[in-house]
Amino acid sequence: MCQFYTCLKNMWFLCEMSKFWAKNTRLNRPVSPHISIYKWSIPMMMSISHRGTGVALSSGISAFALAALVLPESYPYYLDLIHSMTFGPQFLAFSKFALAFPVAYHTFNGIRHLAWDLGKGFKIPEVYRSGYIVVALTVLTSIGLATM
Amino acid sequence: MAALVRISSVCHRGVSPLLFRSSSLIRPLAVQKKDRDCPYSISAKIHATPSNYAGSGSKAASLHWTGERILSIVLLGLAPVAYYYPGPAVDYTLAAALTLHGHWGLGQVLTDYVHGDFKIKMANAGLFLLSTVTFAGLCYFNYHDVGICKAVALLWSK
Repeated sequence: MCQFYTCLKNMWFLCEMSKFWAKNTRLNRPVSPHISIYKWSIPMMMSISHRGTGVALSSGISAFALAALVLPESYPYYLDLIHSMTFGPQFLAFSKFALAFPVAYHTFNGIRHLAWDLGKGFKIPEVYRSGYIVVALTVLTSIGLATM
Repeated sequence: MAALVRISSVCHRGVSPLLFRSSSLIRPLAVQKKDRDCPYSISAKIHATPSNYAGSGSKAASLHWTGERILSIVLLGLAPVAYYYPGPAVDYTLAAALTLHGHWGLGQVLTDYVHGDFKIKMANAGLFLLSTVTFAGLCYFNYHDVGICKAVALLWSK
Protein backbone atom coordinates (compact mmCIF):
# COMPACT_ATOMS: atom_id res chain seq x y z
CA MET A 1 0.00 0.00 0.00
CA CYS A 2 2.88 2.41 0.85
CA GLN A 3 4.74 1.66 -2.37
CA PHE A 4 1.58 2.14 -4.37
CA TYR A 5 1.12 5.49 -2.73
CA THR A 6 4.68 6.63 -3.37
CA CYS A 7 4.19 5.77 -7.03
CA LEU A 8 1.02 7.81 -7.15
CA LYS A 9 2.70 10.76 -5.46
CA ASN A 10 4.93 11.17 -8.45
CA MET A 11 1.96 11.72 -10.63
CA TRP A 12 0.97 15.23 -11.46
CA PHE A 13 -2.72 15.08 -10.69
CA LEU A 14 -2.26 13.84 -7.14
CA CYS A 15 0.30 16.57 -6.52
CA GLU A 16 -2.19 19.13 -7.75
CA MET A 17 -4.95 17.65 -5.58
CA SER A 18 -2.80 17.79 -2.47
CA LYS A 19 -1.96 21.41 -3.18
CA PHE A 20 -5.65 22.16 -3.71
CA TRP A 21 -6.70 20.63 -0.41
CA ALA A 22 -3.80 22.10 1.53
CA LYS A 23 -4.52 25.59 0.28
CA ASN A 24 -8.26 25.42 0.76
CA THR A 25 -8.16 23.95 4.25
CA ARG A 26 -5.56 26.55 5.23
CA LEU A 27 -7.73 29.37 3.97
CA ASN A 28 -10.76 27.74 5.66
CA ARG A 29 -12.90 28.45 2.62
CA PRO A 30 -16.59 27.54 2.78
CA VAL A 31 -17.80 24.83 0.43
CA SER A 32 -20.68 25.59 -1.93
CA PRO A 33 -23.79 23.54 -1.21
CA HIS A 34 -23.90 20.47 -3.42
CA ILE A 35 -25.64 17.39 -2.03
CA SER A 36 -27.89 19.63 0.05
CA ILE A 37 -29.33 21.36 -3.01
CA TYR A 38 -28.95 19.01 -5.99
CA LYS A 39 -32.03 17.00 -6.85
CA TRP A 40 -31.57 13.35 -5.87
CA SER A 41 -31.93 10.81 -8.65
CA ILE A 42 -32.29 7.03 -8.61
CA PRO A 43 -28.74 6.48 -9.97
CA MET A 44 -27.34 8.79 -7.27
CA MET A 45 -29.20 6.97 -4.52
CA MET A 46 -28.16 3.59 -5.83
CA SER A 47 -24.56 4.66 -6.07
CA ILE A 48 -24.30 5.82 -2.49
CA SER A 49 -26.26 2.74 -1.38
CA HIS A 50 -23.66 0.57 -3.09
CA ARG A 51 -20.99 2.32 -1.06
CA GLY A 52 -23.12 2.22 2.09
CA THR A 53 -23.83 -1.51 1.84
CA GLY A 54 -20.16 -2.12 1.09
CA VAL A 55 -18.98 -0.27 4.16
CA ALA A 56 -21.68 -1.88 6.33
CA LEU A 57 -20.87 -5.40 5.12
CA SER A 58 -17.14 -4.84 5.56
CA SER A 59 -17.70 -3.52 9.07
CA GLY A 60 -19.89 -6.52 9.82
CA ILE A 61 -17.24 -8.94 8.65
CA SER A 62 -14.58 -7.14 10.67
CA ALA A 63 -16.81 -7.15 13.74
CA PHE A 64 -17.42 -10.88 13.26
CA ALA A 65 -13.70 -11.56 12.91
CA LEU A 66 -12.92 -9.50 16.01
CA ALA A 67 -15.60 -11.31 17.96
CA ALA A 68 -14.14 -14.65 16.87
CA LEU A 69 -10.77 -13.59 18.28
CA VAL A 70 -12.09 -12.11 21.51
CA LEU A 71 -15.09 -14.19 22.63
CA PRO A 72 -14.31 -17.32 24.64
CA GLU A 73 -17.06 -19.69 23.47
CA SER A 74 -17.63 -21.26 20.07
CA TYR A 75 -19.95 -20.08 17.31
CA PRO A 76 -22.66 -22.74 17.80
CA TYR A 77 -22.82 -21.75 21.48
CA TYR A 78 -23.51 -18.10 20.69
CA LEU A 79 -25.86 -18.99 17.87
CA ASP A 80 -27.95 -21.15 20.22
CA LEU A 81 -27.81 -18.37 22.79
CA ILE A 82 -29.23 -15.84 20.31
CA HIS A 83 -31.74 -18.39 19.07
CA SER A 84 -33.04 -18.97 22.59
CA MET A 85 -33.48 -15.23 23.03
CA THR A 86 -35.39 -14.58 19.81
CA PHE A 87 -39.01 -13.51 19.66
CA GLY A 88 -40.42 -16.06 17.25
CA PRO A 89 -40.04 -17.20 13.65
CA GLN A 90 -40.97 -13.80 12.24
CA PHE A 91 -37.98 -12.27 13.99
CA LEU A 92 -35.70 -14.93 12.54
CA ALA A 93 -37.12 -14.44 9.04
CA PHE A 94 -36.72 -10.69 9.38
CA SER A 95 -33.10 -11.07 10.56
CA LYS A 96 -32.32 -13.28 7.59
CA PHE A 97 -33.91 -10.70 5.32
CA ALA A 98 -31.92 -7.91 7.00
CA LEU A 99 -28.69 -9.83 6.44
CA ALA A 100 -29.48 -10.98 2.92
CA PHE A 101 -30.65 -7.57 1.69
CA PRO A 102 -27.33 -5.67 1.76
CA VAL A 103 -25.46 -8.71 0.43
CA ALA A 104 -27.91 -9.12 -2.44
CA TYR A 105 -28.01 -5.41 -3.26
CA HIS A 106 -24.22 -5.02 -3.22
CA THR A 107 -23.81 -8.18 -5.33
CA PHE A 108 -26.35 -7.27 -8.00
CA ASN A 109 -25.31 -3.63 -8.17
CA GLY A 110 -21.71 -4.88 -8.25
CA ILE A 111 -22.53 -6.83 -11.41
CA ARG A 112 -24.07 -3.64 -12.81
CA HIS A 113 -20.78 -1.86 -12.04
CA LEU A 114 -18.79 -4.60 -13.77
CA ALA A 115 -20.98 -4.17 -16.86
CA TRP A 116 -20.14 -0.45 -16.82
CA ASP A 117 -16.46 -1.33 -16.49
CA LEU A 118 -16.82 -3.26 -19.73
CA GLY A 119 -18.28 -0.12 -21.27
CA LYS A 120 -21.85 -1.38 -21.45
CA GLY A 121 -25.09 0.26 -20.38
CA PHE A 122 -24.11 3.91 -20.06
CA LYS A 123 -27.08 5.41 -21.90
CA ILE A 124 -29.36 7.10 -19.41
CA PRO A 125 -32.43 4.88 -20.08
CA GLU A 126 -30.15 1.85 -19.71
CA VAL A 127 -28.80 3.18 -16.41
CA TYR A 128 -32.30 3.49 -15.03
CA ARG A 129 -33.44 0.16 -16.43
CA SER A 130 -30.49 -1.77 -15.01
CA GLY A 131 -31.02 0.07 -11.73
CA TYR A 132 -34.65 -1.05 -11.48
CA ILE A 133 -33.64 -4.61 -12.33
CA VAL A 134 -31.03 -4.57 -9.55
CA VAL A 135 -33.57 -3.35 -7.00
CA ALA A 136 -36.16 -5.91 -8.12
CA LEU A 137 -33.65 -8.76 -7.99
CA THR A 138 -32.45 -7.61 -4.59
CA VAL A 139 -35.94 -7.62 -3.08
CA LEU A 140 -36.86 -10.99 -4.63
CA THR A 141 -33.58 -12.63 -3.62
CA SER A 142 -33.76 -11.27 -0.08
CA ILE A 143 -37.31 -12.50 0.36
CA GLY A 144 -36.37 -15.85 -1.15
CA LEU A 145 -33.36 -16.24 1.13
CA ALA A 146 -35.33 -15.13 4.20
CA THR A 147 -37.83 -17.92 3.67
CA MET A 148 -35.16 -20.62 3.31
CA MET B 1 -15.91 11.01 -25.96
CA ALA B 2 -17.87 10.94 -29.20
CA ALA B 3 -16.99 14.60 -29.76
CA LEU B 4 -13.29 13.88 -29.54
CA VAL B 5 -13.54 10.98 -31.97
CA ARG B 6 -15.43 13.16 -34.39
CA ILE B 7 -12.87 15.93 -34.32
CA SER B 8 -9.90 13.63 -34.76
CA SER B 9 -11.53 11.74 -37.63
CA VAL B 10 -12.28 15.02 -39.34
CA CYS B 11 -8.77 16.31 -38.73
CA HIS B 12 -7.12 13.30 -40.26
CA ARG B 13 -8.91 13.96 -43.50
CA GLY B 14 -7.68 17.55 -43.38
CA VAL B 15 -11.06 18.93 -44.41
CA SER B 16 -12.78 21.95 -42.91
CA PRO B 17 -15.34 20.39 -40.61
CA LEU B 18 -18.08 22.96 -41.06
CA LEU B 19 -18.53 22.20 -44.74
CA PHE B 20 -19.01 18.47 -44.37
CA ARG B 21 -20.49 18.00 -40.89
CA SER B 22 -24.14 18.87 -40.56
CA SER B 23 -24.57 17.68 -36.99
CA SER B 24 -21.92 19.84 -35.36
CA LEU B 25 -24.16 20.19 -32.30
CA ILE B 26 -22.40 17.32 -30.57
CA ARG B 27 -19.07 19.06 -30.37
CA PRO B 28 -18.49 21.24 -27.30
CA LEU B 29 -18.62 24.95 -28.06
CA ALA B 30 -15.14 25.62 -26.72
CA VAL B 31 -13.59 23.47 -29.41
CA GLN B 32 -15.44 24.79 -32.43
CA LYS B 33 -13.17 27.68 -33.18
CA LYS B 34 -10.09 25.50 -32.77
CA ASP B 35 -10.95 22.83 -35.32
CA ARG B 36 -10.52 25.24 -38.16
CA ASP B 37 -6.77 25.13 -37.54
CA CYS B 38 -7.06 21.34 -37.45
CA PRO B 39 -3.72 20.61 -35.82
CA TYR B 40 -2.93 16.93 -35.17
CA SER B 41 -2.43 17.81 -31.50
CA ILE B 42 -6.01 19.00 -31.03
CA SER B 43 -6.77 16.04 -28.78
CA ALA B 44 -3.75 17.05 -26.68
CA LYS B 45 -5.22 20.53 -26.33
CA ILE B 46 -8.54 19.11 -25.12
CA HIS B 47 -6.81 16.82 -22.65
CA ALA B 48 -5.87 18.71 -19.48
CA THR B 49 -2.64 16.93 -18.51
CA PRO B 50 0.50 18.81 -19.53
CA SER B 51 2.31 16.88 -22.26
CA ASN B 52 5.58 16.66 -20.35
CA TYR B 53 3.82 14.40 -17.83
CA ALA B 54 2.40 12.03 -20.42
CA GLY B 55 3.68 8.49 -19.87
CA SER B 56 5.93 9.42 -16.93
CA GLY B 57 3.79 7.64 -14.31
CA SER B 58 3.80 4.01 -13.32
CA LYS B 59 1.11 1.48 -14.14
CA ALA B 60 0.42 0.78 -10.48
CA ALA B 61 -2.95 2.52 -10.34
CA SER B 62 -4.15 0.90 -13.54
CA LEU B 63 -3.08 -2.55 -12.40
CA HIS B 64 -4.74 -1.97 -9.06
CA TRP B 65 -8.00 -1.15 -10.83
CA THR B 66 -7.82 -4.30 -12.91
CA GLY B 67 -6.97 -6.34 -9.82
CA GLU B 68 -10.03 -4.98 -8.07
CA ARG B 69 -12.30 -6.07 -10.93
CA ILE B 70 -10.75 -9.52 -11.19
CA LEU B 71 -11.14 -10.02 -7.44
CA SER B 72 -14.80 -8.96 -7.67
CA ILE B 73 -15.42 -11.59 -10.33
CA VAL B 74 -13.58 -14.23 -8.26
CA LEU B 75 -15.74 -13.38 -5.27
CA LEU B 76 -18.85 -13.61 -7.41
CA GLY B 77 -17.85 -17.10 -8.51
CA LEU B 78 -17.04 -18.14 -4.95
CA ALA B 79 -20.64 -17.79 -3.81
CA PRO B 80 -22.07 -20.79 -5.69
CA VAL B 81 -18.88 -22.77 -4.99
CA ALA B 82 -19.32 -22.10 -1.27
CA TYR B 83 -22.90 -23.30 -1.48
CA TYR B 84 -22.23 -26.53 -3.39
CA TYR B 85 -18.76 -27.39 -2.08
CA PRO B 86 -18.41 -26.09 1.49
CA GLY B 87 -15.17 -26.93 3.26
CA PRO B 88 -11.83 -25.57 4.48
CA ALA B 89 -10.48 -24.74 1.01
CA VAL B 90 -13.46 -22.51 0.24
CA ASP B 91 -13.46 -21.16 3.80
CA TYR B 92 -9.92 -19.83 3.58
CA THR B 93 -10.34 -18.61 0.01
CA LEU B 94 -13.49 -16.80 1.05
CA ALA B 95 -11.69 -15.27 4.04
CA ALA B 96 -8.92 -13.96 1.79
CA ALA B 97 -11.19 -12.73 -1.01
CA LEU B 98 -13.68 -11.05 1.31
CA THR B 99 -10.98 -9.32 3.33
CA LEU B 100 -9.08 -8.07 0.29
CA HIS B 101 -12.23 -6.92 -1.51
CA GLY B 102 -13.28 -5.03 1.62
CA HIS B 103 -9.77 -3.63 2.10
CA TRP B 104 -9.59 -2.29 -1.43
CA GLY B 105 -13.17 -1.02 -1.27
CA LEU B 106 -12.60 0.87 1.97
CA GLY B 107 -9.36 2.15 0.50
CA GLN B 108 -11.35 3.79 -2.29
CA VAL B 109 -13.71 5.33 0.26
CA LEU B 110 -10.74 6.79 2.15
CA THR B 111 -9.22 8.12 -1.06
CA ASP B 112 -12.47 9.91 -1.81
CA TYR B 113 -13.09 11.51 1.56
CA VAL B 114 -9.76 11.86 3.37
CA HIS B 115 -7.50 14.72 2.34
CA GLY B 116 -4.11 15.94 3.48
CA ASP B 117 -0.90 13.92 3.34
CA PHE B 118 -0.72 13.05 7.05
CA LYS B 119 -4.41 12.18 7.39
CA ILE B 120 -4.25 9.96 4.32
CA LYS B 121 -1.26 8.11 5.72
CA MET B 122 -2.92 7.62 9.12
CA ALA B 123 -6.22 6.49 7.62
CA ASN B 124 -4.52 3.96 5.37
CA ALA B 125 -2.44 2.66 8.27
CA GLY B 126 -5.61 2.21 10.30
CA LEU B 127 -7.28 0.43 7.42
CA PHE B 128 -4.31 -1.88 6.99
CA LEU B 129 -4.49 -2.76 10.68
CA LEU B 130 -8.24 -3.41 10.47
CA SER B 131 -7.88 -5.65 7.42
CA THR B 132 -5.04 -7.59 9.01
CA VAL B 133 -7.08 -8.21 12.17
CA THR B 134 -10.10 -9.14 10.05
CA PHE B 135 -8.16 -11.70 8.05
CA ALA B 136 -6.54 -13.09 11.21
CA GLY B 137 -9.93 -13.37 12.88
CA LEU B 138 -11.51 -15.14 9.92
CA CYS B 139 -8.62 -17.59 9.68
CA TYR B 140 -8.85 -18.22 13.42
CA PHE B 141 -12.57 -18.86 13.01
CA ASN B 142 -11.92 -21.23 10.12
CA TYR B 143 -9.31 -23.15 12.08
CA HIS B 144 -10.69 -23.26 15.62
CA ASP B 145 -14.39 -22.96 14.97
CA VAL B 146 -16.88 -24.25 12.42
CA GLY B 147 -15.66 -22.20 9.43
CA ILE B 148 -17.43 -19.59 7.30
CA CYS B 149 -19.50 -21.93 5.10
CA LYS B 150 -20.75 -23.95 8.04
CA ALA B 151 -21.44 -20.78 10.01
CA VAL B 152 -23.75 -19.47 7.29
CA ALA B 153 -25.41 -22.87 6.97
CA LEU B 154 -25.99 -23.06 10.73
CA LEU B 155 -27.35 -19.55 10.85
CA TRP B 156 -29.81 -20.30 8.09
CA SER B 157 -30.90 -23.62 9.58
CA LYS B 158 -32.39 -21.90 12.62
